[in-house]
Amino acid sequence: MKATLSVINQMYADAIIGPYAIGGAIGATFYLEPVATYDIDVFISLKRVPGSSLVSLEPIYTYLKARGCKPEKEYIIIEGWQVQFLPASDALDREALAEAIETSIEDIKTRVMTAEHLTAIALRTGRPKDKIRITQFVESGVLDEAKLNQILAGHGLLAKWENFKHKYIDENE
Amino acid sequence: MSELMDKILAGKRESRKRLAALPFAQKLVLVEKMRDRSRLIASSPLRRRHKGAN
Repeated sequence: MKATLSVINQMYADAIIGPYAIGGAIGATFYLEPVATYDIDVFISLKRVPGSSLVSLEPIYTYLKARGCKPEKEYIIIEGWQVQFLPASDALDREALAEAIETSIEDIKTRVMTAEHLTAIALRTGRPKDKIRITQFVESGVLDEAKLNQILAGHGLLAKWENFKHKYIDENE
Repeated sequence: MSELMDKILAGKRESRKRLAALPFAQKLVLVEKMRDRSRLIASSPLRRRHKGAN
C-alpha cells in the first residue's frame, strides 16, 4: 500500500493529478476496523479536455502505463493494488475532496476523506455494502452529527438519511 | 436476547473497537492480509469445483 501511495504522490508531484483523497473502504478503514477490499478508490479533480465538456483519464493511464502499470477493467494496477481513479463528479465529491484530511502512513503522506463525507457518499451510493459501512460509522461514534447534518442538508440528502436511520438504525436501538 | 448472546455481541463490539483504534498503517497491513487471503480462497480449486456443481 505504501508503494502504491508513493506512486500516486509522485503523480501529484508531476502534476498528472491535482490534490486527491482516498475514499471507499480504504478511506473508511482510517476511522473504522479494517475491512476486506480489493481496491483503492482515489478521488481526483480532472481538468476538462480543451474545447469539450468531457474529462479524460487518458493522461493518468498514459503516465502509469509508461511506468509498467497495467489497466484491468475499470482499475489500474499500481504496485499490486487495484486503483480506481474517480473524477469528483458532483458538488459532494468536490467538497469531500477539498476538505479531506492529511495523514501519513509511516513516512508517506496521503489524504483521506472525512468520516462525515464518506458517510454522505455511501448514503448517496446506497449499495448494500455502503449501508453496512454507514451503520459501522454510526456505531463507532466517530461521526460529528452537526457536521454530518450540514453536509447532508447541503447536498439534498437529509430525507434519504432520515429514511435510512428509520430503517436501519432507530429500529435496532 | 440470551445472556450468552449479549456476551458474544459485547465481545465482538470490543474487538471491533480495538481494531479501529490501531494506527492506520497497521490497519492497512491487515487489509492487505485479508485481500491476499480472500484471493487465495477465490482461486482455490475446491471453491471452483463447488461453484461448478451448482
